[in-house]
Amino acid sequence: MASAPLYILLCSGEHEKLQMAAMMASVGAVSERAVEVFVSMNAILAFDAGTGERYKGGTFSALMRERRAPDAITLFRQGRELGDLKMWACSMALDVAGWDMDRLEPDLFDGPLGLTKFLSDAENGQFVTL
Amino acid sequence: MADHTLDVKGLNCPLPILKAKKALKDVPPGGTLQVLATDPGSVKDFEAFCRTTGNELVESTTEGNTFVFVIRHV
Repeated sequence: MASAPLYILLCSGEHEKLQMAAMMASVGAVSERAVEVFVSMNAILAFDAGTGERYKGGTFSALMRERRAPDAITLFRQGRELGDLKMWACSMALDVAGWDMDRLEPDLFDGPLGLTKFLSDAENGQFVTL
Repeated sequence: MADHTLDVKGLNCPLPILKAKKALKDVPPGGTLQVLATDPGSVKDFEAFCRTTGNELVESTTEGNTFVFVIRHV
């Protein structure tokens, strides 16, 4: 029996939570599980294509940099390349930030999406909020 | 003796699984992939990966500090 799709609501801009979302999304996708990630609030700032210092975090953020843990954006990309991983940018967050899709990391998002549609799609899946 | 070998020693979760998934794309059905890893979580990870993807975990052993897995691409 196929696993239920995994829906990740990613709101936090903390490096540690971005990393966990990227790990869950990529592993889920390569394990033959459909995964969708909805990126909103401070999390959207980490996907700014023009940013130099992308990750802000605490002790574990520093440790992950020191130990060269895999980059979260790279993990999301690998999940998309190897499995069924869709990523959506919260249309409200884009509007409030004054961004359009071109502002985000290229070839990572499937498009803008509203929360209502995401929640509707997630009705029969497993839901995780970070 | 496996048909292909993937060395992911020194890489942390989830890279061993992601790289194995990528490597399996080049293994024809029925072929085998040997994975060499040092991540202690990889033992249970590869069991779960094979169970969920339908591939067969033919072998899971330890050689010194290295975990050795042989996966048959189903």
